Amino acid sequence: MATVKVNQLHLDDLPWIVEYDEAKCIQCGKCVATCSFKAIKPAIEQRKVSGSITEKNKIEKRIVIKQNISFSEYCRGCGMCTRVCPNGALKITKNNDSRLSVRYRAEKGESIKKGGRSNLNTEGRTLDKIKVGRISQMTDPSLDAVRHTFELKTPLGRVLSADKLNFEIKNDEIISNTKLPPNRWIYPIIIGDMSIGAVSWRMWEAMAIATAYLNEVMGIPVRMCTGEGGIPSKLLKSKYVKYMILQIASGHFGWNRIIDAMPDMVEDPAGILIKIGQGAKPGDGGMLMANKVAKYIQEIRGVPKADLLSPPNHQGLYSIEESVQKMFLSMNAAFNFKVPVAIKVAASATSVSVYNNLLRDPYNIVGGFFLDGLAAGTGAAYEISLNHTGHPITSKLRDCYLAAVHQGRQGEIPIFAGGGLGQTGSFAADAFKLICLGANGVFTGRLLLEIAGCIGNDLDKCNACNTGLCPAGIASQDICLTKRLDIDKVAQNLVNFFIATDFELRKLMAATGCSSLPIGRSDALITVDKNVADRLDIQYVC
Amino acid sequence: MKTITIEGLIKNNRISTQDLLQEIQEKINEGYTNFEINACGQHDIGGSSWAKDPNESLTFKITNPGQRVGAMARKGTKIYVNGSTPADVGWLNSGAEIIVNGDCGDTAAHCAASGHIYVSGRVGTRSGALMKYDPKFPVPEFWVLKNTGSYSFEFMSGGIAVVCGFDCSDIESVLGKRACVGMVGGTIYFRGNVKDIASCVEIKELSQEDIDFLTAGMDKFLSAIDKRGLKDTLLNFNEWKKITPLPPDKKINKISVSDFHKNDWIEGGIFGDFIDDDYKVYPLATTGEGRLQEPIWDSSKCINCKLCINNCPQNAIKEDYSIDENKCIGCAFCATVCPKNAWEMKNNKKEIS
Amino acid sequence: MCRIGAIKSKRYIHPSMALKLMRSQQEGHDDSGFAFVMQDLGGIFETYKDLPCLSMAATVQGTRLAEDILHDIGFSRVLQWSPEVNHQKGLKISPMPNYIFEVLQYPKSHKYATKEEKEELLIDTCLKIRKTLEENNSGYIYSFWPDILTLKEIGSPKDIGTYFNLWNDKEGPYAKIITAQCRQNTNYDIVRYAAHPFVLEGYTVLANGENTFYEKNKLYQQGLYKGYVGFESDSQCFLYTLHYVNKILKWPLKYFMHVINPLSYDSINQRKDKDILLRIKASLEHLETNGPNAVLAVTPDGKLLCVCDPKKLRPVAIGRNEDTVIMTSEVAGINDILPHRDIRKDIYPKEREMVVINNDLTVERWQQ
Repeated sequence: MATVKVNQLHLDDLPWIVEYDEAKCIQCGKCVATCSFKAIKPAIEQRKVSGSITEKNKIEKRIVIKQNISFSEYCRGCGMCTRVCPNGALKITKNNDSRLSVRYRAEKGESIKKGGRSNLNTEGRTLDKIKVGRISQMTDPSLDAVRHTFELKTPLGRVLSADKLNFEIKNDEIISNTKLPPNRWIYPIIIGDMSIGAVSWRMWEAMAIATAYLNEVMGIPVRMCTGEGGIPSKLLKSKYVKYMILQIASGHFGWNRIIDAMPDMVEDPAGILIKIGQGAKPGDGGMLMANKVAKYIQEIRGVPKADLLSPPNHQGLYSIEESVQKMFLSMNAAFNFKVPVAIKVAASATSVSVYNNLLRDPYNIVGGFFLDGLAAGTGAAYEISLNHTGHPITSKLRDCYLAAVHQGRQGEIPIFAGGGLGQTGSFAADAFKLICLGANGVFTGRLLLEIAGCIGNDLDKCNACNTGLCPAGIASQDICLTKRLDIDKVAQNLVNFFIATDFELRKLMAATGCSSLPIGRSDALITVDKNVADRLDIQYVC
Repeated sequence: MKTITIEGLIKNNRISTQDLLQEIQEKINEGYTNFEINACGQHDIGGSSWAKDPNESLTFKITNPGQRVGAMARKGTKIYVNGSTPADVGWLNSGAEIIVNGDCGDTAAHCAASGHIYVSGRVGTRSGALMKYDPKFPVPEFWVLKNTGSYSFEFMSGGIAVVCGFDCSDIESVLGKRACVGMVGGTIYFRGNVKDIASCVEIKELSQEDIDFLTAGMDKFLSAIDKRGLKDTLLNFNEWKKITPLPPDKKINKISVSDFHKNDWIEGGIFGDFIDDDYKVYPLATTGEGRLQEPIWDSSKCINCKLCINNCPQNAIKEDYSIDENKCIGCAFCATVCPKNAWEMKNNKKEIS
Repeated sequence: MCRIGAIKSKRYIHPSMALKLMRSQQEGHDDSGFAFVMQDLGGIFETYKDLPCLSMAATVQGTRLAEDILHDIGFSRVLQWSPEVNHQKGLKISPMPNYIFEVLQYPKSHKYATKEEKEELLIDTCLKIRKTLEENNSGYIYSFWPDILTLKEIGSPKDIGTYFNLWNDKEGPYAKIITAQCRQNTNYDIVRYAAHPFVLEGYTVLANGENTFYEKNKLYQQGLYKGYVGFESDSQCFLYTLHYVNKILKWPLKYFMHVINPLSYDSINQRKDKDILLRIKASLEHLETNGPNAVLAVTPDGKLLCVCDPKKLRPVAIGRNEDTVIMTSEVAGINDILPHRDIRKDIYPKEREMVVINNDLTVERWQQ
């Protein structure tokens, strides 16, 4: 008989409890076969069959489904087992008194790693406290989302103030003989920065297909940012690279391949994004655990099979001046100053200083400012970063925009905001509100994962992207799991989502009488929260 | 027939629309049916009124009206405007004959539901929008000698419009830009160029029935605007076409994403040089190569108790303890029930190569 | 929705024409105010075209404050015109105690000043007077520029005409260009500064409609030039943008419409001048007004222009004969003034169209 000691890990310690109803179970085994975390297992239980104490014990052995109690193989609450169970014999409930995080540290002497998103959804969202309250009625007519034409494009790239364009007038026409920084006119929603490696090849390719389809078939000029994990050469050398924003982060993964592919590139990429930080784990660099470093990732990234922990800073960049010179100048030069180069930073108390500094850029080589808030997602991070560092996007975006207004330079470096957009199911509204607060556009990553079938949430459900055991085949490099993902279905769902969102953006633009993007139209927003109103300089209503 | 002239401007005093309309109504009540109105931009003249004697009709001869001439006008009303008019001529026309010997401002014939509107010049933006047809009443007709402004015939759901395109050879579209958005019913006949028409409608050649309609209607129209001489110019049917809403089955379907993937995407996929992916999709709890774990049998430990065979939910274990891979889902029941640990569950963890 | 009108003629015309032009459009406004700007002045002003003309309405204190400022800077009065006001009972008007229309001589210090230096002095003086009047709540300065006269008042346009004796075309000021507006107010308080037409350095603008992007226009314009002040009306943004584009950036007039109503990216992309237009669209994104509006304007050299936004939800019609062109919200107004014109020559500007009336009354139409 097994002995039990009090300090052993116990079911009570685990974050999720699998409730098992034996009466409903037909013992088909599908739940166990499905669970990628090995969180449940068949087990033999002994039962006393006879009822009377006078009779000799008659014991029966039965197969039941039991939860694993382990520091590595435990239930993440993904609920795949409940999906395959034909009879609803399983139910997952959250254990609000879980001690796993304490026990794990005590047992292993190391910090906990997670994937997905923050698991302490405690703040409440500012965006949900804001309504689009300036409706066009009588004073000016609201527009018809179907009838009117709407301009949903925004520049990516350095925009010069009109007096610096050096235009000349000839025969009553403006002409320009000056070289001007590159601008691209793109859809105000960017598919954001998910690396090959962090997501499966099928997920990544589905996003690329959806992007190409939206551009080529639907005429919606969505751009996709590659993430820092490199880019397949076949994509680099195809015409579709023009829809891609190539990312470089501290790891510089895959850039040797990009440089190698340059002579064979038939199109310029849409842009370059220098990632300095990300909203989900500001102050941390990229992280990809060894179990996800598949062979092809080793090749694309130029690494062995090992835990890949990128430094939080670009080695060699220890001041903002150097950043501008080294990164912006070099990345501009790499594509002969024809491709906009933008920067992505995590929202932080210091973001305004960074933005101010970039605005002064005398060489006009800073082509965009991507600001990532704390509700963003990530493939892997230390729980301490994920849950306890970061800055909400809304006020920081507003601060940066108003800093530009203060200098009369709004729009000169387009701002793109992200970080947990669509969290409460209202992506178009989130995008619209952030645009009204001063963003040229927004970017989103984690929402796209949810569209593809990710079941994680902000209340600690799943969020095990770091393990490579993604039950949806999204954040895994395992064949059996990745092949759960239907690439065409995911691409179609992404496309559909953009079509629906595009319509919803038009609906909001129509109601507020805007036929162009309402960048900085904070007069369209109201809030019943006085603090929010004061902080964001929008109208307080009650 | 009692006739009266009403002035909209007396000395330097403009009569307000309210006073003018009330004066007209008083005169109607007194039995007047024939009005000459020298307006000064007063609105709504000729609308929603009817003669005291139901057998008589009302006639309004108007100069310089304001907006909405003949708005909500009824059957039995005849309105003649000498000169151009501002917006909303014949708005919600419910049966009147309205003749404008000049141009009309924006939204002429908006929501017209019956009657005739004849215009000897051009009409403005959004004209003919939301025209409709109620089968209990005669079909509304809207005849324009020249052209319309942009966004014409939006959301049109019934009735007939005829845009003659006279003197419009230098105009790139006699219906303006983005005409017919949201149009679901009715017919527009036009002569001349059109451009930038909504995708929910189609342009068709005339049928004999259409030609008969236009031939008969044109006579009446040209008489009304006193331009009979244009008949030969306008009745060259090679120059005419018509617009009707596209039937639902003709709406254009875009290719599916999977067809785009198959036909237009980078051949072999972007990871094709690393990965040989068959794009097969595994269901949850699958058999064969998609299993997360597979049982491995150690014959040296087996005591042939058959517990595994009997407890396998998928009947995947054969008599010789070999596994039918098409049945096994990797549930580990065999390993669990085996008293001798003869089954070991092996991770089927595979990386793509 | 307000009603706006503009008359440009080869001969000198009288403000009564503007009153008549707006009369038939009465149901389009709410009897809350009337304002007009006269440019290219005739009559007693004709000989002083190069000297600045001050238009003000003020209290006694305000009048004195303004005179002190002008005196201190060194301006001296050359001509003063005071409208003969009619105190007849029952007129719907809220008059100010004093209306000052005077032509001034530049200070001696500016005798040999360049045009730019003189203009600088005028705008600085104007802003200084405005600020002083505001601080003392003692009046309004509407324009201070050569050859321009502005009158704005609260009340019924007809009664304002009677009060200032403007119905009598035998007397009073004359000009070759008159722009006028009858107001429809959406504010509780009726503010004189919010009445169109607005004047800045010889540019005059009046608009019918809405500047949907007023807030962002304002934020951007506030820092662009010292003369961009007030913002009592969203339509002032049109004036400031016209001034910025044409005077400060020195771009040809047609680019004004590309700034306030930029074409869509897709449309621009098919044009030869796409590189220029895309730069304008990006750089002056914060000056897009996003309609709906019809804008009328006069430039310092006397061109009259009209721009319609892409939504085309605001009416405007243009009628003309050999010596006069009229632009106004409704054709009824034109019918009253020019009943015998050839209506086949009437112009109904399209969406995204700019119509320019040159000084010889030739018409240029630019489709954007």
